[in-house]
Amino acid sequence: MDDSAHEPLLSCRGVFKYFGAMAAVDDLNLDVQQGEVLGIGGPNGAGKTTLFDVISGLNPASAGTITFDGNDITKANPVQICHAGLSRTYQLNAAFETLPVRENILCASYYGPRNVFFPKLRFDREAQRITDEVLEFTELLDYEMVIARELPVLQRKLLMIASALATRPRLLLLDEPVGGLNVDEIEVVMALVRRMREDRPLTVILIEHVMRFLVALSDRVVVMHHGSKIYEGLAEGLTKDQTVVDVYLGEGAARRLEHIIDEELHHGHDAS
Amino acid sequence: MTIPSTPAHGSSGAYAAARRQDLRLDLAIGFALLAIAVIIPILSPGKYILGQFTLFFIWACVVTQWNLVFGVAGVYSLAQMAVFFLGGYAAAMLGFYLEISIWYGAWVGAVFAVFVSVVIGAATLRLQGPYVLLLTLAIAVVIQALVQSDVNCFFYEGKICYPLTGGPRGLMKFGDLGFRDWLAYKQAPLGTYYLGLLLLVINTIFAFVIIKSPFGSAFRALRDNQPLASSRGIARVKYQILVFALSGFFTGLMGSVYAGHFRTIGPALLDLDLLLFLFSMLVVGGLGSRWGPIIGCIIIMVANELMKDLGEWRMIAFGAITVAFIVLLREGVVGVIQSVWRGYIVPRVPWLSDVRRSGLAE
Ligand SMILES: Nc1ncnc2c1ncn2[C@@H]1O[C@H](COP(=O)(O)OP(=O)(O)O)[C@@H](O)[C@H]1O
Ligand SMILES: [Mg+2]
Repeated sequence: MDDSAHEPLLSCRGVFKYFGAMAAVDDLNLDVQQGEVLGIGGPNGAGKTTLFDVISGLNPASAGTITFDGNDITKANPVQICHAGLSRTYQLNAAFETLPVRENILCASYYGPRNVFFPKLRFDREAQRITDEVLEFTELLDYEMVIARELPVLQRKLLMIASALATRPRLLLLDEPVGGLNVDEIEVVMALVRRMREDRPLTVILIEHVMRFLVALSDRVVVMHHGSKIYEGLAEGLTKDQTVVDVYLGEGAARRLEHIIDEELHHGHDAS
Repeated sequence: MTIPSTPAHGSSGAYAAARRQDLRLDLAIGFALLAIAVIIPILSPGKYILGQFTLFFIWACVVTQWNLVFGVAGVYSLAQMAVFFLGGYAAAMLGFYLEISIWYGAWVGAVFAVFVSVVIGAATLRLQGPYVLLLTLAIAVVIQALVQSDVNCFFYEGKICYPLTGGPRGLMKFGDLGFRDWLAYKQAPLGTYYLGLLLLVINTIFAFVIIKSPFGSAFRALRDNQPLASSRGIARVKYQILVFALSGFFTGLMGSVYAGHFRTIGPALLDLDLLLFLFSMLVVGGLGSRWGPIIGCIIIMVANELMKDLGEWRMIAFGAITVAFIVLLREGVVGVIQSVWRGYIVPRVPWLSDVRRSGLAE
């Protein structure tokens, strides 16, 4: 009866992505439940970003099917996927470089939530309202007039997330949201991701090399290697999985990670 | 997601204030320039100067529309003069063969130019950056070659043979704007002067509204980062075609006005010299900026007058100026003025510095 509640929001079935003869994504199966945060780790070149490109329609799958909220989106383009409620960030500091922060977000809040057949001559109230909310939520209000290329690194990262949020997604894909940030800055982004989930169950997939971030935020972790999934499960299991330790973490990092996981388990999420 | 409700103090205040400030500045600059332009003929500067001003109005319109495609949307099209030429040619052909007044033909020319512009925009869809330059330049060269090599007799007037398009000499005797018949002989240049001015005003308002609207934001977003724009719901194909269509209209209309003003139109309009001349206006003024085309047009036309005696060297000078700006002053004269304003004037004038003015994108 209550099947729909357990139906995954996103489902990848037998997904391949070839670049020439190389399978950057190799027969991947993945389910993401409504409201969960899935963390994806794995060495450089494992195919994580390529998987996001495939899901978000930027670079369509060579084979397999992807369904989002019960609809087949395998062949949909990025614009359609955005309008369907799936939003992503890019690994490299991607913004509209010459536009002020506010206009960056206005673009997303006006064109993102639904198809605009023919634009009006002004951004409508709804887009302005969403933009105000997102700016406030991501603590970018003081930066709204700054041209994106002149932003400090933390605010650039926040802008990328803000712009993705402004399309009103139900599923958010974050590609290395804290890459290049220092410890304090990582805390800021971590607190933001936690706030995002407080009220309504926003579903998130995040790729991250910073294991502390990945472990602290994810309900479930997947590790990719050579385009395939080599681990799927709770973060606690990562350090006990010999393959993950061998190909990704290494012995030293695995021990440090064990520490971090311990801390997480004992102190919980009281930071938020 | 907990999104707090909009704060009472209205966070969009600073941005909205900056927009209002920009609008006031635009109106001030616009009215000042307009007042000067309205007064100039009263000082009876002579036929030559009036003619140069009329030409300035036409080129300023063409460069303003070009800026939408090249500067705002970042699609490096060099086919602007081809659109201008074909719009004007359509009106001239209608005048020549069907004796339709240029006043009506101009609208057909404008609509035809929209069509041509959209086709060119569609042809460049799969290309990026420098390849767009190559393709669009090739289109212009091919159109010029086609008209120039058209020497087959289409009809005879007495013993003289006329090709369909007029061939290398182009078209003549297709009528004009008629100011000579309506106004005294001496007053006729005033007719085209004020018509040109009126069209420049309308054309500038049109371009400014587009630049400031969500259209402009979509064009700039695609220019800055196409994959990101598509992931935020902005479809490249749609907006690229749209910007070509929007800019094509006034470009074609001005082509017809050019034909009506000079009472001749020919393939020489597609010469590289002229393209470079207009391109230097675009670059010197500031790509993508609102006032860039008009300011660039003023600077280059004045420079052109000053360098009259240089002959062939003029084109080399314009080439050098263009390259210098592209390499050293990417943002053009408008960019320089803006950084002086923000970096030097605003911090030193107390009543300005409390207006947080870091400026908008254009
Ligand atoms: N557009 C592309 N063309 C060819 N090869 C690519 C392309 N994008 C990624 N690759 C290759 O696919 C593999 C996976 O890359 P990527 O998905 O970026 O890895 P990750 O994000 O996990 O570090 C790498 O070997 C990379 O070189
Ligand atoms: Mg990557």
